[in-house]
Amino acid sequence: MTDAHTDFEPRITAFVCNWCTYTGADLAGTSRLHMASNVRLIRLPCTGRIDPLFIVKAFERGADGVIVSGCHPADCHYTSGNYHARRRFAVFHDIMEFIGVDPRRMTFSWVSASEGAKWKDVVNEAVANVRELGPYEAYRALAPEAVELEPSGHSGAEVAS
Amino acid sequence: MTDTATAPVYTGVDDLRRIARELLEAGDVRVIIGWEAARRGARPVFVSDPAETDKLIFDTRCVHNLVTYLNPRRDHVAELGKIALVVKGCDVKAVAGLLRESQLGRADVVLIGVRCGGVLEENELPAALALTPETVAPRCYGCDNREPTLTDHLVGEPQPEPPRPVMTIDERVAALDGQPLEERWAFWTEQFGKCVRCYACRQVCPLCICEQCIVEKTRPQWIESSAHPRGNLSWNVTRAIHLAGRCVDCGECERFCPVGIPLSLLNRKLQDIVRERYDYTVSDDPENAAPIGDYRLDDQQEFIK
Amino acid sequence: MSDRYFISDSDLRGLAADLLGAGTEVIAPVATDICQSPSAIAATACTLDHSLVDIDYRALTSADELDLDRGLPQLSLKGYFLPEHEALCSWKQKGTTIEVEEVPTEFAARVVLAAKPCDAAALEVVDKVMNWDYKDELWNGRREATTIVNLTCPMIDDSCFCTAVGTAPDDVKGADGLLTPVAGGYVYEPATDKGRALIEGNKARFSGDVEADTLGREADDERAASRRRVAANLEIDAESVRDWIDTHFEDPLLSQLAIRCNGCGACTSVCPTCHCFDIVDEQEGVGHGTRRRCWDTCQAPTFTLHASGHNPRDDQHVRYRQRINHKFAIYPLKFGEVLCTGCGRCTRVCHAGQDLVEILQAIDIAARRPGDADPAAAEPEEAAS
Repeated sequence: MTDAHTDFEPRITAFVCNWCTYTGADLAGTSRLHMASNVRLIRLPCTGRIDPLFIVKAFERGADGVIVSGCHPADCHYTSGNYHARRRFAVFHDIMEFIGVDPRRMTFSWVSASEGAKWKDVVNEAVANVRELGPYEAYRALAPEAVELEPSGHSGAEVAS
Repeated sequence: MTDTATAPVYTGVDDLRRIARELLEAGDVRVIIGWEAARRGARPVFVSDPAETDKLIFDTRCVHNLVTYLNPRRDHVAELGKIALVVKGCDVKAVAGLLRESQLGRADVVLIGVRCGGVLEENELPAALALTPETVAPRCYGCDNREPTLTDHLVGEPQPEPPRPVMTIDERVAALDGQPLEERWAFWTEQFGKCVRCYACRQVCPLCICEQCIVEKTRPQWIESSAHPRGNLSWNVTRAIHLAGRCVDCGECERFCPVGIPLSLLNRKLQDIVRERYDYTVSDDPENAAPIGDYRLDDQQEFIK
Repeated sequence: MSDRYFISDSDLRGLAADLLGAGTEVIAPVATDICQSPSAIAATACTLDHSLVDIDYRALTSADELDLDRGLPQLSLKGYFLPEHEALCSWKQKGTTIEVEEVPTEFAARVVLAAKPCDAAALEVVDKVMNWDYKDELWNGRREATTIVNLTCPMIDDSCFCTAVGTAPDDVKGADGLLTPVAGGYVYEPATDKGRALIEGNKARFSGDVEADTLGREADDERAASRRRVAANLEIDAESVRDWIDTHFEDPLLSQLAIRCNGCGACTSVCPTCHCFDIVDEQEGVGHGTRRRCWDTCQAPTFTLHASGHNPRDDQHVRYRQRINHKFAIYPLKFGEVLCTGCGRCTRVCHAGQDLVEILQAIDIAARRPGDADPAAAEPEEAAS
């Protein structure tokens, strides 16, 4: 799956910490930085709250790529949450690569509240990588009779109003 | 490569039986959990009568990690009273794990260590066999705990090193690592496709002790419970991660798996990861803290932008 | 005695080839050299000398794969009638309506060749519960679509005990015909219309020349010899065992017999008669998902976990008792059949050493000669409290 899939818009789910990356992403927005719009943010209090299962679930539900981002080491709002996350995600990253999940589908970063520009770069790079890798159909298709997703941008039907 | 194959029956069995009998007669210990010979080979035995301690054996068929019977969930074992457990060097690392995680007090169990030279891969035999590269369990090679220290008693003479198997687990992990990503994905999804979610791996693991396992959480259902490869991948990866730095490589999960998933490859990879990243090796010293739950300010982060 | 036909070794393979050529799915035992499989690296006991094989029931891709050495497939035929996991329906929400897509309940005709009689008999035993208060269309649909041809079993080892629980190594219970090895081939005895239709549709492969004195007797002798071998492994009075279990619910014997069980459930997954399943709705996204059922095990702690948090079977010896109870007392009382066909897989797969032959023997002793019952002969006694 190395051909560029220019007609496909990657779905990226980003798990970000409230205090640093979420604020940094907000700064990127208020600064009117141009970046890919494929990312759905999920805000958590701290990267230490992120269970690797979140990432697994994201792939199961149709994410083509995932971003996990939080405060730089020594700057965690809760002092040590990101240190725990760092070890947890190192193991997770290595095991997933061993299983055969392309590490380019998972992006880990430290983005602080003032690093709007860095967030832009992280997002653009993640989207470009995943666009090149293509949709992650292989993961969802591990369950036979998996229901087809609606075309890019929306998963499932419109919710009843 | 050793010149002499390990003798099938280990020394120290008489001492093992005597110690077991004395413990029961003294009254503090109410049950000895060890191995006995049965129709289909060696298997766990629970001896409460001092006169029956002659049932205890120790030979190359004694693969089972008996520490699983210390699991706090097993009420009907706990009801038998204070336990004296027969442990090999690999098994007793699991006791250290339980102590490390405050699941057990050191005084709660008496540990009878046996000096082991390795066990058989195919152990369900009417008589024990000598160990050879073809018959030895691959996980025994390179054993680092042949003189276990976390014991109350230690029987038997020091044994020669286990022979090198035809293919070591490290060689198989290295071969997998050397394959391109797509081939590893094909390999593991085929293996996880076999999984029938019997949870034998979890039930027999001495360190799978959570009162409510994450897979049983239904609100929300974090891990898909159906036995399709997608749910199975989630289950197997989650179990692997939860054991990082805790797994003692006793091999029981793989041995119990009814469909033959090579969990030893995952377990060994996990050990490689924590050793390379955090310089950590699981041992029978309860004082060395597990790597996950711990951290250093200068931990590796080359994969983080 | 039903009519008998002869089919040569090569014609049997030819029959498989004919069926495959006509587009019919043929399921049969296939032996794979562990070290030759694409996942050779996975072989846990791989000695690289090609002496180890796995035998599995597989859909043949060619008649050459058919293994007639009569070894025991690791998993029973159960998975071909009650798959490990299957979709029951899927749903999609569109605005204010929900579209439900059901799965088909009719299946293409298929043939199982060289089935183990214990596996086929198990299907007939489970038919009873699958047609009790609810008719399971998926199970029944697959049963109707399948023609099963048994191959007389020579007995696998001393963990077999089919004759002790109402079947036999040459039984056709649950199947449509029986092959018995003789010189040069097999004697085939159809037992049902489907079994006869197999001959009708493939006349060239079968011949009617089965002389009673030669091939006929050879087949009979083979069958009788197998039955004798298995009967030597275990003899019990299944009815006494049933009644004892039914009236000794609190007896400590069953706890003692369960002591080393880890609750792994491997026994239930390899068992041809275990049929419990769980149904889950798996949300795949907003407004759509799939309802699936998959194998469940009474040996898992959550099997009887209530929403309140209470668990009536919250310890392993209680769950193990339930398994013995269900198989040898409850099901026989309800449906007149023992929920076990003596294949021995549970004993072989249990790596904790639980031995059903030993357990049934102990219960049989307790049932038939209560004065002689000595639990210590089978298991160590419980510690005095």
